[in-house]
Amino acid sequence: MNQLESLFDNVWIDALWRLLVVLALMVFVVLLLTWGERKVIGRIQMRLGPMRTGPYGILQPIADMIKILLKEDLRPATADRLAFELAPFLAFVPVFLTFVALPFTASWGVRVLSLGLLYFFAVSGLTALGYLIAGWASDNKYALLGAMRTAAQLISYEVPLILAVLALSMLAGSLNLVDIVERQGRVPFVVWQPLGFFIFLMCALSDVTRRPFDTAAAESELVGGPWIEFSSIRWSMLYALTEYAALFALATLGSLIFLGGWDWPLGRDWGWWWQVILIFTKTSLLLMVFLWANGTFARIRVDQLMSFCWKFLLPLGLVQVFLNGLILVYDWPDWTLLVTSGLALAAAGYALHAGLRVKEPLRTVSLRSDA
Amino acid sequence: MLGVLRGMAGTLLTMVRKPVTVQYPDVHKPLPERERGFPVLLWDHEVGEPFCTGCHACERACPTECISVTMKDNPLAAEGTSKRRKIVDRYLLDYGRCTRCRICVEVCNFSANAMNNTWQGHELSRYDRAELVMDLEQLLAQSKAKQIEPWVAP
Amino acid sequence: MAKRGKNRLMVVEEERDLETIDINVNVGPQHPATHGVFRMVLTVSGEKVVDVVPHIGYMHRGAEKLSENADYRQALIFQDRTDYLAQFNCEMCYVMALEKLAGIEVPERAEYIRVILSELNRLTSHYMFAGAFGTDLGVYGTVYTYAFREREFIQEVFEEITGDRMMYGYFRPGGVVWDVPDNFKERVRAVCEKTRIGINDIERLVTGNEIFVARSRDIGVISGEDAIDYGLSGPMLRASGVPVDLRREEPYSIYDRFDFDIPVGERGDSYDRYLVRMEEMRQSLRIIEQALEQMPEGPILPEKLPRRLRLPPGEVYMRTENPRGEYGIYLVSKGGEKPYRLKIRSSCFCNLMALKKMTVGHYVADAVTILGSVDIVLGEVDR
Repeated sequence: MNQLESLFDNVWIDALWRLLVVLALMVFVVLLLTWGERKVIGRIQMRLGPMRTGPYGILQPIADMIKILLKEDLRPATADRLAFELAPFLAFVPVFLTFVALPFTASWGVRVLSLGLLYFFAVSGLTALGYLIAGWASDNKYALLGAMRTAAQLISYEVPLILAVLALSMLAGSLNLVDIVERQGRVPFVVWQPLGFFIFLMCALSDVTRRPFDTAAAESELVGGPWIEFSSIRWSMLYALTEYAALFALATLGSLIFLGGWDWPLGRDWGWWWQVILIFTKTSLLLMVFLWANGTFARIRVDQLMSFCWKFLLPLGLVQVFLNGLILVYDWPDWTLLVTSGLALAAAGYALHAGLRVKEPLRTVSLRSDA
Repeated sequence: MLGVLRGMAGTLLTMVRKPVTVQYPDVHKPLPERERGFPVLLWDHEVGEPFCTGCHACERACPTECISVTMKDNPLAAEGTSKRRKIVDRYLLDYGRCTRCRICVEVCNFSANAMNNTWQGHELSRYDRAELVMDLEQLLAQSKAKQIEPWVAP
Repeated sequence: MAKRGKNRLMVVEEERDLETIDINVNVGPQHPATHGVFRMVLTVSGEKVVDVVPHIGYMHRGAEKLSENADYRQALIFQDRTDYLAQFNCEMCYVMALEKLAGIEVPERAEYIRVILSELNRLTSHYMFAGAFGTDLGVYGTVYTYAFREREFIQEVFEEITGDRMMYGYFRPGGVVWDVPDNFKERVRAVCEKTRIGINDIERLVTGNEIFVARSRDIGVISGEDAIDYGLSGPMLRASGVPVDLRREEPYSIYDRFDFDIPVGERGDSYDRYLVRMEEMRQSLRIIEQALEQMPEGPILPEKLPRRLRLPPGEVYMRTENPRGEYGIYLVSKGGEKPYRLKIRSSCFCNLMALKKMTVGHYVADAVTILGSVDIVLGEVDR
């Protein structure tokens, strides 16, 4: 027994088994999401979703996996060999690495990093590199165009995301994810930072290129996304796996820093099993919101995407940082946070509403009975 | 912003409605009696022969020329059991060309054919297009087995 | 090239013009949006479309020529298959052309049945448009399934009446081929109630939704004068501000007995075209309700109708207001049972002519939106 314990005391073995657990969890969630997305979208559309592969379509992800693995792995003859094979890994591995910083309970995570938040965003930004290399290595001008567009989108939307999260870490006074969760105490940060939460949701959707921000995938109808030349397991890594894993990572992060994570309510009092339930419930809630948005929205055009980020979300992020700073410096009570942030969110919503409405009314169709 | 939120509320509402899916291979939707499946020939159970006399009316009327008919002298008429002096000898209907326009049923003087209003009139997939050409026995099969109640237009 | 002058810190380079080439983007016959086999070649400079060349003819099946070898009852089925989303309207135009030339009078009950079915078909056609429009804009299929759920209710009524879900072949010169079932009025009223829910569902999701508005407002604008010049008709013309509806201008059948409004847009962009079609759906429901109340009992075909219709020699042009525009049948008869020449004036074909004018100057992503808002059906474009 002692030998076993001392084995696990070894830093490398300890890290290895934790990584394996996280890997298994991530794969399980990705499979669950492929099934769950189709069921949820089906329900929004008043239909059933997959029903025939296994009871209630549970084996659908297995069927998809088998289909993708059995496909021919095409590679263009003129594609750069090394970059072509490296690109899906470059897109996927950073997403997996972000899981290293996420604590799933008060005492369990792969590692508790004192700069966890910074690590998360630093590493997840490398995905953009993977897409870019994928597009360039395909030796296809449409893939290159699509890749540059995707990279531009990913990089632009990182900025307001980091600003919103930065504002939040100013409140919490730390970049350590465990500390942020514990500082929330009785009131999760979503109450104090509605504007920050809104920016986080928008930017999270864009970071994984999901509707309404999925022009990268949609342009493949016309011009071509970065993964146009990839097939079989490479495509699956680049598109499905990265997207769902990043979605899961961002949903977990959102529930940790905004919704109170494993701590609220009564996380510390009831033990680790309650904490696990809490965090997975909150993550599922955020995932449901993302899937709901996927089924509802149209996609916005690429120039509208960019102007939305730079002209709307970025100033809002700066406003949130400024407000937080103001309140912290003058040591105003907490409710001022809620009031100012809520007002800023309402003002932003109104500005969006007014800005998109242009000057003329929306219903420009009149009914004539004489004609 | 409001329009977006209204849209999201709309999809949330539809999420709780009952789905409209009919799970086809397990559940077959009931077909109305006027359903127009591919045409079949009818069997006269009293006499024991098809109603069709091979008069070529449907062959002439078909817009896509998918019917091919030949007639012969009716052996049962010589015996005296049937009033039909001529009877159909060979009847070929190409389901691959048929447009299910029902004109052949409309022009038939003997009410010898009908549109198949059962599911067998629709579940006719074949791997080879040549197998879609139906001959007399195949067209009479359902009526002989009394599995079809065709609809007669008023 | 560095200029070495007195101030050695200044390096001046000549401006070099960046050479740009316009790319040809082929929006191929296999279209991701559901409009049929249609090919557009867009010439794109950067992001903006510079030229549009539509290639049609992938769905040409020779309907007009086939009709020359078929007698008048057989030629009816080809009309179903031209505009396969507004079949009753096409059949109506055809049988009315025959009646006009032969001088056949249609009994009242048949007229009412025809109008009700045509307006129901307008509903299905506009539902299809709403679904396809949403899909073109990128919704993952939500609008499409809402639209098709409603279409399914209406198609069930059609199935109970005619036996077929899509290619009805129900109208005949002089009336309709058999009478409707006894529960016709209740069924149609029930379906009208249900479709109101569907219209509201789609409107709640699309109309006023900022994303849809941003993607379709001021996209594909065509002015009223240009619309008339290009020969547009139907909702495209009305969205550009020209209040022309053939059911008002030249009332055919019994449309002059009904009270309905005509939606007319102001801006002529894609969003207006969508709004016009949504309003038209509501007006169709009004017409159906009035027709149901007024519908009499009686025969559905005239008494003395010859078995095989022979038309006197002559020519006739009949046009009707199809969901997509003005559908016309130009019939030349030399006596006899078969038409000498049957020309179909197809609404979508003429509407497509304005595609270049509407698309040039917009982004590539807008080209799909504009095509969706024109609402073409390739069966009608190519016949």
